[in-house]
Amino acid sequence: MSAQKIANPQPPFAWGRFLRTFGTLIGFFLIVLFFASQRPATFMSVRNLLNITQQVSILGVVAFVMTVVMVLNDFDLSVGTMASLSGIVIGVLLQAEQPLVVVIIAALVVGMLGGLLNGLLVAYIGITPFVATLATLTIFGGLAFSVSGGRTIFGAVFPDALTEFANGGIPLGTINEQLVRLPHLTIIALVVLVLVWFVLEQTVFGRRLYTIGGSMEAARLAGVRVRWLRLLAFVITGVGAALAGAMLTGQLATANPTLGDGLMLNAIAAVFLGMTMSQEGEPHVLGTLVGVLLIGVLANGFTQLGVDTYIQRILTGTIIIASVTLSSISRRNR
Amino acid sequence: MLLRIRRASKTYSGIPALIDADLDLLGGEVHALMGENGAGKSTLIKILAGITAPDSAAIEIHGQTVTLSSPHSAHSHGLRFIHQELQVVRHLSASENIFLGQAYPTRFGFQVRWKQLHQQAEQVLARLGIEHIDPRRTMGHLSPGDQMLVNIAHAFVGDDLEHARALIYVMDEPTAALSEAETAQLFRVIGRLRERGSAVLYVSHRMDEIFTIADRVTVMRDGRVIDTLPISTITPPELIEKMTGRDLQHIYPARTEAPSDQVRLDARGLFTAVVHGATFTVRVGEVVGVAGLNGSGRTELLRAVMGLDRLTAGELWLDAKRLKGHSPSTAWLEGIAYVPEERRSQGLVLSRSVGDNLTLPQLASLSIGGWMLAHGRERQTSQNMGAQVRLKARSPAQTVRELSGGNQQKVVFGRALVQPPRLLLLDEPTRGVDVGAKVDLYQLIREISGHGTGILLVSSDLPELIGMTDRILIMRGGQLAETVSSEGLTSERLLALCYGNMDHVGSKDR
Repeated sequence: MSAQKIANPQPPFAWGRFLRTFGTLIGFFLIVLFFASQRPATFMSVRNLLNITQQVSILGVVAFVMTVVMVLNDFDLSVGTMASLSGIVIGVLLQAEQPLVVVIIAALVVGMLGGLLNGLLVAYIGITPFVATLATLTIFGGLAFSVSGGRTIFGAVFPDALTEFANGGIPLGTINEQLVRLPHLTIIALVVLVLVWFVLEQTVFGRRLYTIGGSMEAARLAGVRVRWLRLLAFVITGVGAALAGAMLTGQLATANPTLGDGLMLNAIAAVFLGMTMSQEGEPHVLGTLVGVLLIGVLANGFTQLGVDTYIQRILTGTIIIASVTLSSISRRNR
Repeated sequence: MLLRIRRASKTYSGIPALIDADLDLLGGEVHALMGENGAGKSTLIKILAGITAPDSAAIEIHGQTVTLSSPHSAHSHGLRFIHQELQVVRHLSASENIFLGQAYPTRFGFQVRWKQLHQQAEQVLARLGIEHIDPRRTMGHLSPGDQMLVNIAHAFVGDDLEHARALIYVMDEPTAALSEAETAQLFRVIGRLRERGSAVLYVSHRMDEIFTIADRVTVMRDGRVIDTLPISTITPPELIEKMTGRDLQHIYPARTEAPSDQVRLDARGLFTAVVHGATFTVRVGEVVGVAGLNGSGRTELLRAVMGLDRLTAGELWLDAKRLKGHSPSTAWLEGIAYVPEERRSQGLVLSRSVGDNLTLPQLASLSIGGWMLAHGRERQTSQNMGAQVRLKARSPAQTVRELSGGNQQKVVFGRALVQPPRLLLLDEPTRGVDVGAKVDLYQLIREISGHGTGILLVSSDLPELIGMTDRILIMRGGQLAETVSSEGLTSERLLALCYGNMDHVGSKDR
């Protein structure tokens, strides 16, 4: 007779659950501590921290709106080239001497139309998001090249009002005789963050998006207008991507047909990092924020340590894998 | 004795799920394992399957002490499992599903010999007496019942049924998705296993099945084995009493008032891709049953009324108002509530909380201005609905995935009642639900219809249909063939009506 005895008088502390929820956050603080110990004078300064928020603001906007479609279990791969296209639209219209307000609105309208196209393909025609947005990624990139003639637009075309705003900020005071500003781009990203948080967590619309992400069939049978809501989600992401393109162009005073292309992968990575922090593995925009900051802190810290940018990319990728692995291992063990 | 379990116990985070359970399986017997959800049946089965390690247990197979440490070791000790949830790969053929995890016949060691594979699959099916399934067909294109039969065939593959030593089969609600005919086929297969000296541990909530197939029954309640006795020494009401620990004289509560004459739903000449003509009415406070074989269009009739399948012809009138541009979202707005057939995939969003699921269809009306969530109001509604359907959950924030089947179904019911519906569509509302929860749901159906809601009830459980409804619509081949009164109807007569012509032919012969 075999008696399998496992003494188990009271439940042990749920380490797996703890790690699953807070692992990424703990990792984030460990990384901050590491850089702070390596570069105590520069890294933890208010000035540098605000600088980091400016550096991640554009990625942040893309990642926040990417969260909206990823709540649906969908993707939007076209956000990067949409940002490039938006920048080109701004550059070309400014060359045509249109007023700045009109130009910005036009760029956002282009983003809306692009999102509408994505939404129609995915929700109404039924193409999987991966294929549909891979195709529109190519289309938007091609449009950016053909509208600009493949040239980079730069210099005096961009009014000072735009570049000064995009690189400026609200003065907060002086520390060590240096003026410290809250960057305007950071404020824009924060506004987008709050808007997306409100829409996803506090509205009927957002709740229904999470429901669709949980089970499209169950949502439809419960009266949720699945196709319409999916379309709207893609429109939000398209507009957000165009806004990011406008921020990027304003900051650099340059419009280039490939300027925003790199945003997409980092945005998706940030959402994935954030997903490791929720119990059910759903994307939440505050989790995405941690993912964005993690990516930004790594870039900033590695640069201060003088790590080569190519090596930086390898390290960043490795850290993303480590975080998601840790989370999925602890998830498997429950 | 094939299997002997002594003093099996298991505790999950301090809560006992199984307490000193004993079980004996004899060669050549079908042994029913009965109990409400949460009685400990699943825990016992998981221990046998090597999925869960018991805190303590002594297990003997063929008189030898064994440790079931993994599914693999359970398999090598001669245990075979058929679960209620389909475990199939939908886009592969039936043959591939049958031989999943086995070596396919190959040429040169890598090129699959498809013809041979299909032939072998045909043989496996034929051995079980299944001849109507073409093993070349894609799994996803088979009916749910046929998929289950393929799933069952998978459990038998690799064992030489003619000569092998006696095996132990554990079947956990294998008939949940099967029609009457398919169930009969499965029972023939079980009969053969019994003849060869194998033991079958059979879990089902359906009383009629247990009394048809089982030799002995073991009843569990609250983690303990209450009793093991020959099935011939007990009656269904006694068995239910043992399972629930309470006296259930009337499973189907009597209706308190007659339905009114006012017509609630008027369906005129409905046609969809599957439904070929259905004209019927449901009156205020009336419970109308829908009977038919699997594939007869029962489910599709409800889907048509819900606006899920497009009407190619016909009109729907609700309280003398024509429903136009009908879709699920407008249906809910009109006061039509729906409890779909598959609660896990269609009825619930498993990853979300009890509260989110309860409020989902009426979320807009519970919100501020139709767009902003009112968390307090939602919580209040969830708590009220939970109490009304006698839901057992920790809190509205608990994830639905963690609830038992019966409680999950109560969430689907509660959700339909957040706004008292004018018309309630129920598709197999008590499938896979334990007896205690069933009785709760039956009482709920009576309460709802008492308030004037018209109810359309689809069910394969014939006594349930007869016990709960006023009239029954008989569906055959997509057509509404006839309507009968439930008064004085027998299960045999109702089944004959589902098959059509049967009694007619029978009377000719006599």
